[in-house]
Amino acid sequence: MSDVSDNAELPNQPVPDTGKRDLEYYARILEEARSIKGTSLWQDAWKQLKRNRAAMVSLVFLILLAVLAFFTPLLPLQSPIYQDIEQRQLSAPSFSAIPLYPESIFENDEQLPKLSNESEIASRKQEILVTTLWNNPGTVSQWLIKLRLSVFGTWSIPSLCGTDNLGRDVLSRVFWGARVSIIVGIVATFVSLLIGVSYGAISGFMGGKVDNIMMRIVDVIYSVPFIFVVIFMITIVKEDQISAVLEKWGIDQIKVFFIMIGMIYWLTMARVVRGQVISLKNEQFVEAARTIGASPTRIIFKHLIPNVMGIVIVYLTLTIPAVMRFEAFLSFLGLGVEAPDVSWGLLVNEGIQVITPIKTYGWLVLYPGLTLALTLFALSFLGDGLRDALDPKMKNK
Amino acid sequence: MFAFLLRRLGWAILTVWIVYTVTFFLMRSVPGGPFDGERQLPEEVERNLLEKYNLNDPVHIQYFNGIRDIVANPIGEKFGPSIRLADYNVDEVIAQGFPVSASLGIFAMVFALLLGMTSGVISAIKRNSALDVGFMAAATLGISVPSFVLASVAVIVFVFWIPIFPAAGWGELSQILLPALCLGAPFAGYIARLTRTGMLEVLGQDYIRTAYAKGLATRRVVVRHALRGAILPVVSYLGPAVAGILTGSLIVERIFYLPGMGSHFIEAALQRDYPLAMGMVLVYTCLLYVMNTLVDISYGVIDPRVKVE
Amino acid sequence: MNKPLLQVENLGVCFHTDNGTVNAVNGVSFQLEAGETLGIVGESGSGKSVTNLAIMGLIPSPPGEITSGEVRFRGEDLLTMDSQHIREIRGNKIAMIFQDPMTALNPFLTVEEQLTEVTQLHLGHSRREARAHAIDMLEKVGIPAASRRIDEYPHQFSGGMRQRVMIAMALSCKPDILIADEPTTALDVTIQAQILELMSELQHQEGTAIIFITHDLGVVANTCHRVMVMYAGKPVEKATTREIFASPHHPYSLGLLNSALRWDESHGGMLRAIPGQPPDLTQLGDGCAFAPRCEYCVDACETAVPPLISVDKNQTREHACIQDLPSIRQTEVDV
Repeated sequence: MSDVSDNAELPNQPVPDTGKRDLEYYARILEEARSIKGTSLWQDAWKQLKRNRAAMVSLVFLILLAVLAFFTPLLPLQSPIYQDIEQRQLSAPSFSAIPLYPESIFENDEQLPKLSNESEIASRKQEILVTTLWNNPGTVSQWLIKLRLSVFGTWSIPSLCGTDNLGRDVLSRVFWGARVSIIVGIVATFVSLLIGVSYGAISGFMGGKVDNIMMRIVDVIYSVPFIFVVIFMITIVKEDQISAVLEKWGIDQIKVFFIMIGMIYWLTMARVVRGQVISLKNEQFVEAARTIGASPTRIIFKHLIPNVMGIVIVYLTLTIPAVMRFEAFLSFLGLGVEAPDVSWGLLVNEGIQVITPIKTYGWLVLYPGLTLALTLFALSFLGDGLRDALDPKMKNK
Repeated sequence: MFAFLLRRLGWAILTVWIVYTVTFFLMRSVPGGPFDGERQLPEEVERNLLEKYNLNDPVHIQYFNGIRDIVANPIGEKFGPSIRLADYNVDEVIAQGFPVSASLGIFAMVFALLLGMTSGVISAIKRNSALDVGFMAAATLGISVPSFVLASVAVIVFVFWIPIFPAAGWGELSQILLPALCLGAPFAGYIARLTRTGMLEVLGQDYIRTAYAKGLATRRVVVRHALRGAILPVVSYLGPAVAGILTGSLIVERIFYLPGMGSHFIEAALQRDYPLAMGMVLVYTCLLYVMNTLVDISYGVIDPRVKVE
Repeated sequence: MNKPLLQVENLGVCFHTDNGTVNAVNGVSFQLEAGETLGIVGESGSGKSVTNLAIMGLIPSPPGEITSGEVRFRGEDLLTMDSQHIREIRGNKIAMIFQDPMTALNPFLTVEEQLTEVTQLHLGHSRREARAHAIDMLEKVGIPAASRRIDEYPHQFSGGMRQRVMIAMALSCKPDILIADEPTTALDVTIQAQILELMSELQHQEGTAIIFITHDLGVVANTCHRVMVMYAGKPVEKATTREIFASPHHPYSLGLLNSALRWDESHGGMLRAIPGQPPDLTQLGDGCAFAPRCEYCVDACETAVPPLISVDKNQTREHACIQDLPSIRQTEVDV
């Protein structure tokens, strides 16, 4: 095969002869060079990615998932937190529709009887709904929930995935859990990216002693079972006194969580970026660009960034699933996301908790577990596809 | 070789010391000590407790005493009493949990290696066949499904729906099998993919063409010429795999109620038993270091171009 | 006259790739007599290596496919032979040396392990015999302290030494044919000369026929009896070495000669590269594949592929060009 794919050898350098003939000769070579069209790395990568069916299906799935997760408040789902232990505890998946809330939900409110104006009553009712049926959502979500209430009214999708031991709708909890899982995945990955890229780039650029020391530190951290240390740290941070102090600084539990996870996954990123920076520094095409008088900005933007970007993106798509898995892992152990927030790992844990030798309630584990697995599956397929597309060394493998 | 081991030992000591220091000061950074959060204790009881856990001394004395205990007695008792399991020393808890975790981990690793390498080699040789696609889909599935989902589903299916495995307990082969399979599955998947990639890469090498040009049969080319090079990536993955199996054991031991180090560690973390958690982190650090050193040595054995140093 | 040792008839090989089917070899025919050296010359991608891999049955399939032709070794067609039978010929009757000795030896096995497995397989040597024979061979190819170095790994040898090991390995079973695929390209110039000398020396001793694949005309001039020039998967000219250097009949042969350094260059002009790029083998047109790059191209060249025609009576000299190149050049000089 090698024989076929090789390019032609470069023409031998001509020995200067008569001036005119030379000029013609060079003009012809130049013209020939211009006529050879290159495809940019990104075009080529996209072309290659499009041919990879598994990666494209995964991409579509993930985009769909992200859109659905974003618009979850708008969807006619049941409440993710409203409990109905008496009538709906651990009921199996069913297709019979139930109302979003019982009328009794307004009974205990003190303000409501005092109001007489129709529109005031309506808005008060809406307020009660938003706070009891959805856990204190953000501004955008509140707006979306109000829109949902005015579009779908009290109609909601039946409990297709059953309910849990507090009578909450599993389908809705899976959707709301998606929001947390995805956000943790993205933000924590971003944290690791930030630390990893800057650490790696600094180490690579500085070189010499600084590089040596910085990489030794990474080596030491690598050889520590870091996850155990992080679990240790999380338990410390969760101590009431400590979290009160952190709260004062404006760092709530979930932010701590982002930072903790980000701290684990920056190591490999740092190594990869450092390696790339060092090899690029000495790369011949950078030398070549310099010798033909390319400006430093051109070198950085045309040669360095695209070359680092590719590998960073590839590594990024591999980090997101790792981070999501780790979040689920911690939440499953009871060290991660805490109620009333939901995440997929937490949901699986809740499902496992209620298993008894007599009854298993498989839907509690199945649906969140399946969604999580599918998402991770899609992410790793996309990551593989991107790696094949963006890493030229992996081509044709 | 000796110099290599010596240098490794030096780095190991440095690493353990850093981990000790970090965990120690994290532990001490909790204001008021471990007994503040609980209900008000009589003063005398609290004083006795502080005495028992050596919390009366100034912090730097505690720090150096801890180091002294570890250095003086690296095999036997070194960590002091556990908080949660108040009648036990941390070392005793670890000594009880270790055999359980170790046999679980070894079973899982052997399973992962056997299944992963066999399917990886078959996949590479029968590239793009239905078998290859099937193996790789299974491998990707094994990697993607988090171990707790896999283990949970396995419990539901194989313990409750089709009861072929016992629910919990420890000591018999049938009790170790299902947890070990669940623990090893993601690593089997990863090893399968690494082996396949490695094998394909090696099969494209010039020296494989040379081997065929000598008139050797395919089986001999694969076994004698290709396999060694193909498993190199697997060998370098063993280090991370060991770390991953340690992590995974937390989950699996918890789901299957196994009395290993992992479940003790999680309990310790959840119930703020810092002395126990710290002792375990140190043990895990040493364990990982030993495993990584073994991996590096075996790398040198397999690839003659690599000098272990 | 006896049957030729090796006779290749209308060989065609293609590769099915993502970018279309690459027609790497399109109808190659040649023959090789016992003890002679045939040079196959051409640019990268001209199909010279693929031709020889096909002879050995080493075309990876997929993506490769042999589409046509016969390869007769002592009258037997290697292409239709069962795999058991062809394995007995490979490495035994027909052996091969590859371009890059750095990668052609297995880095995980000692030289002994790699040398002895050939003779154990084909000659039925015991381990002891095989080792003794291997040491013999290493000494023959000029490796000092062979009995000690045989236990070393390839990375402990220099490039030239490794190529010697490769040659020892290829010649272990005294093959009838040795296919040398650019055996000196990856080596230093001084080492190149040594290796070439070694090869011709061994050829004299053993009477092995050699197919010498190269793009280096200097090597051809020194070693080969006959030359076949290939372009775009086809032979475009076949001649004796002397004839082709004296008067090439195909413009591509001329182009190769002009672009190589020659000690006897009389007119002292500049080296002239062949303009343009080799053709895209996924889409070969109707005409002569060289036409777009040919300075002697006329309209007729672009409508039909010129067949290989023989110039002289005893058919040792053939070329695939519709023009009479020597006479055109003669008139150019006259003008």
